[in-house]
Amino acid sequence: MTAPLDPVLMSVMANRLDGIVREMTNTLLRAARSAVISSARDFSCCLVTGDDQLLAPAEGLPVHIFGCHIQTANMRRYHEGDIRKGDAYLDNDPYGGNTHPADHTFMVPVFHEGEHLFTSVAKCHMADIGNSIPSSYFVLARDVYHEGALVFPGVRIQRDFRNIEDIVRMCRARIRVPDQWYGDYLAGLGSARVAERRLEEFCTKYGAATVKRFIAEWFDYSERRMIDNIRRLPRAQLVNKGRSDPLEGILPGGLELTVKIEIDPEEAMIHVDLSDNPPCVDVGLNTSLGAATSAVVGAIFNALEKDLPRNAGSFRRLRFTYAEESVVAAPRFPHSCSMGTTNVSERLVNITQSAFAQLGDGHGLAEGGTGLGAGMAVISGKDHRRGGAPFVNRMMLSTNGGPASPVADGWVNYAIPVIAGLMYRDSIEVDELKHPLRVNALSLVQDSAGAGRRRGAPAQTIDLTPTGNDVTAVISCDGQHTPPRGVAGGQDGTAGMTLRIGANGDEARLPNVVQVTLRKGEVLRGRDSAGGGYGRPLAREPARVLHDVLEGWESREKARDVYGVVFTGEIDDETLAVDEAATLALRRDKENTHAA
Amino acid sequence: MAYRISVDTGGTFTDVVVLDPDGQLHIGKALTTHERIFDGMQAALAVVASALGLTGPALLDASSTLVYGTTRATNAVVTKRTARTAFLTTQGFRDTLTLKEGGKHGPHDYTVDYPDPYIPRRRSFEIAERIGADGEVVLPLDHAQARAVIALLAERRFEAVAVSLLWSIANPAHELALGAMIEEHLPGVPYTLSHQLVPILREYRRASATAIDASLKPLMQAHLTGMEADLRAAGFRGDLLVSTSAGGCQHVEELVARPIHTLKSGPAMAPVAGRAASAAERMGGNVIVCDTGGTTFDVGLVRDGSLVYTRDSWLGQRWLGDIIGTSTVDVRSIGAGGGSIAWRDAGGLLRVGPQSAGSNPGPACYGRGGEHPTVTDAAMVLGYIDPGFFNGGRLSLDPAASARVIGSLAETFGQSADETAAAIMTIANELMIKAIGEITVNEGLNPRESVIVAGGGAAGFNIMPIARELGCDTVILPRTASALSACGMQASDIVFEATRSRFTDTAGFDVAAVNAALDAIEEELEAFRRGLRGASGARVRTELLVEARYRAQVWELDTRLPFSRIGGAADIAALAEAFHQTHERVYAVRDEGSAVEFVNWKGRIAITLFDAPPAPDAAATSHAPTPDARRSCYFAETGRVETAIFRGPALAAGAAIAGPAIIEEPTTTIVVTPGLSATLSAAGNYILHCAPKGA
Repeated sequence: MTAPLDPVLMSVMANRLDGIVREMTNTLLRAARSAVISSARDFSCCLVTGDDQLLAPAEGLPVHIFGCHIQTANMRRYHEGDIRKGDAYLDNDPYGGNTHPADHTFMVPVFHEGEHLFTSVAKCHMADIGNSIPSSYFVLARDVYHEGALVFPGVRIQRDFRNIEDIVRMCRARIRVPDQWYGDYLAGLGSARVAERRLEEFCTKYGAATVKRFIAEWFDYSERRMIDNIRRLPRAQLVNKGRSDPLEGILPGGLELTVKIEIDPEEAMIHVDLSDNPPCVDVGLNTSLGAATSAVVGAIFNALEKDLPRNAGSFRRLRFTYAEESVVAAPRFPHSCSMGTTNVSERLVNITQSAFAQLGDGHGLAEGGTGLGAGMAVISGKDHRRGGAPFVNRMMLSTNGGPASPVADGWVNYAIPVIAGLMYRDSIEVDELKHPLRVNALSLVQDSAGAGRRRGAPAQTIDLTPTGNDVTAVISCDGQHTPPRGVAGGQDGTAGMTLRIGANGDEARLPNVVQVTLRKGEVLRGRDSAGGGYGRPLAREPARVLHDVLEGWESREKARDVYGVVFTGEIDDETLAVDEAATLALRRDKENTHAA
Repeated sequence: MAYRISVDTGGTFTDVVVLDPDGQLHIGKALTTHERIFDGMQAALAVVASALGLTGPALLDASSTLVYGTTRATNAVVTKRTARTAFLTTQGFRDTLTLKEGGKHGPHDYTVDYPDPYIPRRRSFEIAERIGADGEVVLPLDHAQARAVIALLAERRFEAVAVSLLWSIANPAHELALGAMIEEHLPGVPYTLSHQLVPILREYRRASATAIDASLKPLMQAHLTGMEADLRAAGFRGDLLVSTSAGGCQHVEELVARPIHTLKSGPAMAPVAGRAASAAERMGGNVIVCDTGGTTFDVGLVRDGSLVYTRDSWLGQRWLGDIIGTSTVDVRSIGAGGGSIAWRDAGGLLRVGPQSAGSNPGPACYGRGGEHPTVTDAAMVLGYIDPGFFNGGRLSLDPAASARVIGSLAETFGQSADETAAAIMTIANELMIKAIGEITVNEGLNPRESVIVAGGGAAGFNIMPIARELGCDTVILPRTASALSACGMQASDIVFEATRSRFTDTAGFDVAAVNAALDAIEEELEAFRRGLRGASGARVRTELLVEARYRAQVWELDTRLPFSRIGGAADIAALAEAFHQTHERVYAVRDEGSAVEFVNWKGRIAITLFDAPPAPDAAATSHAPTPDARRSCYFAETGRVETAIFRGPALAAGAAIAGPAIIEEPTTTIVVTPGLSATLSAAGNYILHCAPKGA
């Protein structure tokens, strides 16, 4: 039995590791090529211990939080006895802990005095992965063969710090716009290598024995924090269901999804049962173990204290049950997990975080806006301004509205539940410069948000048009039929839609999952979904309703009809004010009607 | 030679630094008087004047230059007391200021409301017009509609107008037309056109800068011209300059026209001071500049003798506040300082911050009702603060209160108060180490090859262990450390920047267009220089830069042009190589296979109107001074020891002090860590030697 580590030293060491993952993140963010990484921030960095336990994640996408330890374990298993300093490995196998094939995961084993103490991991969503269609998301993929992605199950891609050029050539031979992929490859690998250097310095400074003690005690500390938090929750068995959008001609009713959560404060455990879910489907909607578990873990953390450490220590207090074979977390080969991190995973986040609201006011969150709509489409084509040079990219121009919480209104730039607002929006000017298209309008949609004591964030709407050659947009949106739900008396948000407006002005609504080619003169209009509300709208402070009306997010009519708030004066001449007496009377009236 | 005055008005204190004809710096401090800034300035001037045996008016009369640093604009934005401003933008994009650029703190944090736009929606107006990415007119300006909007602005008595249209950087015709209409129909109402203020790509940044600038115009015009009038009335006949966020200064009329450049000018001056201090000590051109206040810790850099700039500077928190959009000296700020509160979390770990007791109630030892243990209380318990000599004896402190709050926290850990207090210092240091680590890593600067210049009243408590942890051997802590920004103004140039947005890349480099942009930039710089009073014969430095990136990257890096015009293929290759080197320095990778894209072209001119304070030529004789007192202090390395206390003002150049020791200057305290040492240089700077012995 060794003496416990000085707690001050533990804080210092934890701080240093956090500094390392922040440096990894910054390196990747700024050096990456494709917008999906540098703007949408669809990447994550973390440090895993030499024995495959998640130690330190960066502030990255919640949907990447779980599974890297499985990938590092596979790396060690596949290459047992032949892993050494200077190596790097590439993995994107959704059957091996990875989220989905679009996420290329770069793993660098870190050695100290010959011992493999850490693996640094950088996971990035590539703009293209050699699929059979020009998008790294393929909803209609019947199976992995139809999907067409190159899959690398823990493949060595560097030895002695040099590329294994066979692998790089394979990627270049099949991936569209290979220079863009290679730039992102350099950024991802560079990030993992930065961590390697820093971790070597870390180990030299503190010595292997102290580092190991730190790891063990940091996990124990994190577990104590988790225990403390779970002990303060009520004992409960929560069951919550949700439904994904239909898939035309394939899944007419969508998928009904179920999350069961058992909270045991005495044992300080949360048990998540994901087994009651539909079997695998012959499309790309199946979720990998890594993606689905991450979605649920992320949503649980949304419902807990905001600064809890997220690592193998706190995860000890979570237990999971999965089905033998299911669209949720249990894909069976060769089903495709192309959309593993979005559609079904988005719904799993919503179902889980809103389940906690069943514990009573003050717990959980409403549902956030879902679906990658027209403003987040993958676009491709040939740029007439650059001699017909091909382009393919995901945009991040408009986003869904975020969910209301017990204390705050929804976040406007939310994107989708698995991105949780972390992304950057594209600049319209930058996108118009890079792609042969123009944005005609981009604005928030009045009266779209889910009302509540705390309001969901409003939807956005965007109009896009090609400026030269045809532009193809691939849209795989799961947010146009089942809107985000409110909780604790809060109202639902509104669903999105995609429209094509012909050169003659005719509007036609498109399916939620669609590949559309636009001609010059045609307009693609996308409306995103709006977040659900939390708590009763009649309990919303009139000052907040006044703010919403002044900003044009809610109309005076909705303020009166839904929130029971009456105004005097006008917006334009700055005289708008709450009529306190009339508001009180109207609210009393509405309460009585409601009670009756 | 006459006197030179610099004034930094902070939130709490107004710092005045005066350079006397012998090259000595003198500091005066007074409380900032927010109702009338001039009163606080006069009070601080009087402090220095009396030390010099003069009256305030006599000192003003004998001064040739006064550099004024103001937080007036920053405060106006923070307290929302700017002008009633209209925002005019392209039809369809009224929400630009609301939608911003995305980004959020904490993936699991849903406790924060989405921030309001800088200008509310009811004051945002769409103009029927559209320019395309190549500068082509997609939708001609609807003059009738535009005039109707402007008539409405007149009717509603708007006080300022911000105009930011899409692609005005490619074709400014519509913005210019709107400017003419404003001149005609809203005579006397100040306005800002985005392509003139910040001709950069990215509509939110341009719109935000334009909105902020316009909203400050009425106020800053009144403030700066009022200040000038007050100074003249008080007898000042010299040259009045105002410091800017570019780390330089400008004449009043320039900043009346572009008040946005006064934002964050105080923090921008700290790296200028750091550069001057390092140069005076011949310590090289790579400097990490730390400014420790009561509630914030600011870090800036000097690389190869040059200031480091960013376009990602925000008023308020990043993503939650408003982006400034102009190119400013890069200074990162974290919420950590003497007021940061220490606490024990549910996992049993000691934490420091992010909550702060601020300056009111402040640390427990201030005796204003603060009941939480803070970093200052920890320093008090450890014996680092003389309760009777804090801040020159102006604030008397209550050591018993510190002992009480630290003691009760220590009990929860089963530790002594000393141990817990030392732990608080260590953890507070960690936050600062991480902040320094981030900015140096971002800029590719190695702390081991740099010198730290430390300033701010609280810097001396912990800068030595921080430097040691970073592997940085030397810290310069000027005697005037508590007024670092005002010292920077004493060493500042007139700095002016001109920008043109001209997108091109190495694959199809548009030589003519780029050279035309560079011509326009140099013309603008030259026109500025010609129009500058007192600049004839002054030393001038000009540099040309381009914000560049690899194809399809989103974020640019500042790259210095190796020449002033592009001649041919060899020059393009040399420019690309300059970018590869920058990218490699910052991100450790280069990709020669990729085209390089060039976005915004910039020229920066620095005109030296006055020289930095001269370095004294007297050589210092090394000697070991006698301590003025001894006091029991606690250090993690040694435990409690009787520690030598030195009164700073009594020390002579060449004094060499071995740790453990405390040096008490009137406005700052230096803790010399056991095993390390400090010397006082001829230039009046403490040189702190932070390399462990034997290293």
